[in-house]
Amino acid sequence: MNEITIIGAGMAGLMAGWQAAKQGKKVKIVAKGWGATHWLSGCIDIVGYYPVDGTEVVENPVAAVKQIITDNPQHPYGLVGLDDIEAMISALKDECAAAGYPLHGELHRNWLLPSAVGTLRPTCLAPEMMIAGDMRQNSPLLIVGFKQLMDFFPNVVSDNLNKQGITAAQAMVDLRVLRERSFINPVILAEMLEQPAVQKELANQIKPHLGQAERVGFPSVLGMDQAMTVKKELERLLGRPVFEIPSLTPSVPGMRLHHILTQAIVSAGGRIENGMEAIGAKKENGKVTAVYTSTAARPHPHRSQQYILATGGILGGGITTNSDGDVREVVFDLPVTAPLKQVDWFHQDFLDKRGHPIYQSGLSVNKQFQPLDDGGQPVYGNVFAIGTTLAHCEAIRERSFEGVALATGYALARQLGAT
Amino acid sequence: MQSIQTEVLVIGGGATGTGVMRDLAMRGFKTILVEKRDLSHGTTGRYHGLLHSGGRYAVKDPDAARECIEENLILRRIAPHCIEDTGGFFVVTPWDDPAFGDTFMKGCQETGIPCEEISIAQMLKEEPLLNKEMARCFRVPDGSADSFLTSECNVASAKAYGGQMLNYHEVKRLIKEGDKVVGAVCYDLVNDRDVTIHADLVVNASGAWAGKIAGSIGIDVHIIPGKGTMVAIAHRVLNTVVNRCKMPSDGDIIVPVHTVAIIGTTDVKVEDPDQFAIQPWEVQLMLDEGEKLVPGTKQMRMLRAWAGVRPLYQETSVADTRDVTRAYTLLDHSARDGVDNFITITGGKWTTFRQMAEVVVDRVCEKLNTKRECRTHLEAIPDIQHEPRTAEGYYWLGSRLARTEKNKAYGELACECELVTRAEVEEAITKHEAKTFDDIRRDTRLGMGPCQGGFCSYRATGILHTVRQPSIEETNVALRDFLQERWKGLLPILWGPQLKQERLDELMYLHVMNVDHMPGETASRLGPQMYDKGTVETRPQSAKT
Ligand SMILES: Cc1cc2nc3c(=O)[nH]c(=O)nc-3n(C[C@H](O)[C@H](O)[C@H](O)COP(=O)(O)OP(=O)(O)OC[C@H]3O[C@@H](n4cnc5c(N)ncnc54)[C@H](O)[C@@H]3O)c2cc1C
Repeated sequence: MNEITIIGAGMAGLMAGWQAAKQGKKVKIVAKGWGATHWLSGCIDIVGYYPVDGTEVVENPVAAVKQIITDNPQHPYGLVGLDDIEAMISALKDECAAAGYPLHGELHRNWLLPSAVGTLRPTCLAPEMMIAGDMRQNSPLLIVGFKQLMDFFPNVVSDNLNKQGITAAQAMVDLRVLRERSFINPVILAEMLEQPAVQKELANQIKPHLGQAERVGFPSVLGMDQAMTVKKELERLLGRPVFEIPSLTPSVPGMRLHHILTQAIVSAGGRIENGMEAIGAKKENGKVTAVYTSTAARPHPHRSQQYILATGGILGGGITTNSDGDVREVVFDLPVTAPLKQVDWFHQDFLDKRGHPIYQSGLSVNKQFQPLDDGGQPVYGNVFAIGTTLAHCEAIRERSFEGVALATGYALARQLGAT
Repeated sequence: MQSIQTEVLVIGGGATGTGVMRDLAMRGFKTILVEKRDLSHGTTGRYHGLLHSGGRYAVKDPDAARECIEENLILRRIAPHCIEDTGGFFVVTPWDDPAFGDTFMKGCQETGIPCEEISIAQMLKEEPLLNKEMARCFRVPDGSADSFLTSECNVASAKAYGGQMLNYHEVKRLIKEGDKVVGAVCYDLVNDRDVTIHADLVVNASGAWAGKIAGSIGIDVHIIPGKGTMVAIAHRVLNTVVNRCKMPSDGDIIVPVHTVAIIGTTDVKVEDPDQFAIQPWEVQLMLDEGEKLVPGTKQMRMLRAWAGVRPLYQETSVADTRDVTRAYTLLDHSARDGVDNFITITGGKWTTFRQMAEVVVDRVCEKLNTKRECRTHLEAIPDIQHEPRTAEGYYWLGSRLARTEKNKAYGELACECELVTRAEVEEAITKHEAKTFDDIRRDTRLGMGPCQGGFCSYRATGILHTVRQPSIEETNVALRDFLQERWKGLLPILWGPQLKQERLDELMYLHVMNVDHMPGETASRLGPQMYDKGTVETRPQSAKT
């Protein structure tokens, strides 16, 4: 029997699985898909805006995390604490460096990296592929797009950068290999750019546009497994640092990180079973004795001593809602903390700075990450919950999405390993 | 102030106004149409999508029924590219009186609407998702119609005859000299300035707003705005229009329109055509009523909800808006109010827009002392679509897919849900003068599919910025306006899978792209006008059960 079964293979589930396996636990992850990693920027946000309705960007996440914990002790960071966030960051940096894809950054200062619309995105850890785009230094840039890739428009990036006082020019390249294809997306492009001939053609087309640019930005498509090699080669050909800007899905940098994490789990002896949707659980004497996944024939039981729910809240599908205003946790039917009335789910503006209350729906847990009932007691002795399935946090408005997932996953695994 | 001279000024870019514009231009009048936002911004763009056979009014309002069937047949002939011949059913559900079926049949016969009763087995063969407990089913020639496209085509046709259209021009007030109307002062929203238009005659085709226009020179035109809310199911659960066979009521029709199926509508009297919040009870009612026709509706993914306002004209006030006649009203204000050169046309239905236009322009001829024959029922409305698809007719997703496959244009799709290509978006901007992303949407259906702008909004941003090269702040605010516009229609139906989708859109636009920190304004004059927040949670007494 497995010691730990994790439901969900997003950032939280992968981090928990990796850390628990590393500590010698027998771990299995069951998941219906790959979570949000393939959509994310590939950076690790800890906190970028706090308070969320303020105007200031967070320069020092340490201070902001402390403030969050003071203001809202129930926030997932309140459960985790700064030490585990630090420890998670160094574990992740070590693993990525060992995989030849280093992440850079410190908890006490945020990078300011350009986005695909040319806004400045605060983030804590960034892959080496992106850091030459840091906007806290103001040296002229050239932003390059690919004519056939509609998921990145360099003119939108450069014009917005210019508007914010950053000198940027733009260029659109039209590669022969792309002209021949009827369809490309970031993943296909990333794989093509691993070919030296394509790199050379790309560099040749860019050179006439270099002008005063001291660094060159691209959409995040500079290679998949060979990203660092592609970057170095382009830098050699162009004689300047190059960097990636996260572009629309599928997210190549997100996939690279995902690959590193899944490899780490497998190397540590953990298992991942994908394509399995958890649909229910068997409960006996205050404990869960099986989680069922749906298969064609009949629900398939997964037995384990402990269960970690990392199903990603409303976005991940771990929490569902319906037209009657019910908000449900789908695997264990755990009590969900949510706005009382459906009319209070939303604000009138899509971009309302406060975030829409419904998205803070989730599980209330204790410091051991055990979901609690209305009386504040753990519902099951052997069930834990992590990541964006937790309540009391607006991870997208705060820009804490990866941080909350990874830190809660790390902290729980450490606690379980210690027992 | 800029000043323009024309023969006839038409106010309102809905079905009626664009129909009047085309008819005027075809009869050789120098014509300008002004619309305060984009074409079809009013009720025409927020309707149910039904080309009436007249069946709905066969019992209750035979005049309206006759108008509908006459025009139904004409429109099928002159605008086949705007119409899908879905056919229609009138079904007697377990909640309805089976005897009404005979009354209905008789009504159809008397008003000239082809109608046959079919077996329930046949009904289920054609529409297997319909409630199996239906008692009776009648077939009528209902259809489904694209009102955006029709307005566009009407205007394109009018332009070919010399007409001129000014969108984003809002009439602030009519200009009256002595006892004559001589034009109107308009506010040009794009350029933020006033424009005066002088005309020999003014046609007020502003639908539910007609009272406001007339009121600007003190003429009392009493319009009862009747709000109707509709909900779109994310896919075509039916291929046939399905009506409840009973006296017209709420939530009793489902219309398949392009890629979706629309349940509608409610009917609630409102004070002002600009203030119509969608109330939660209306959405619940649509789902409950939809459930009776198609069991399982409540579990289906909903895409959007919206509301339109019926322009119902009444000299005397009537409490229940559904009892007001649907037949249209033409007011010649010289006879009625002693003010010359001013005509109001309001009421009616989308289906009868052409006939309404004909009657108006006949009156215009009379007033301007000239005799010119109407030809709008004879001459087809030209198809302006990017790639005319006459062979396939009215757009359905399959025809766009076939075209994409034929041209191997997979990489050219700016909107994957509705299969809209980059070239179509570019053309909407350059040739069709789209000013906002929402205009592009009405033109191409960009952003109307399940992801509701998730993937295409960014691409449309890039295309707009590249093609038109506005200042970056203008591009930024256009993107934010569009995100808000999509949000507005989602708010009333956000739960289940669509809520999950919206969270994903937040992840992309806020987390990855940080659009909430773009330079410039957060919303523009051209952006969506929000419905005021729903406050009434239960059904008001005045509405029907
Ligand atoms: C809920 C609902 C469902 C319906 N479903 C159907 C159906 O399925 N089939 C059918 O045949 N009919 C249907 N109808 C009726 C039909 O939609 C309307 O009768 C028709 O669209 C009215 O068109 P119109 O051009 O007269 O008005 P509108 O489309 O409202 O046009 C008036 C225009 O005037 C503009 N305007 C207003 N004020 C000003 C100003 N100051 N300056 C410049 N412009 C101005 C507005 O922006 C608007 O675009 C439905 C109506 C409703 C409310």
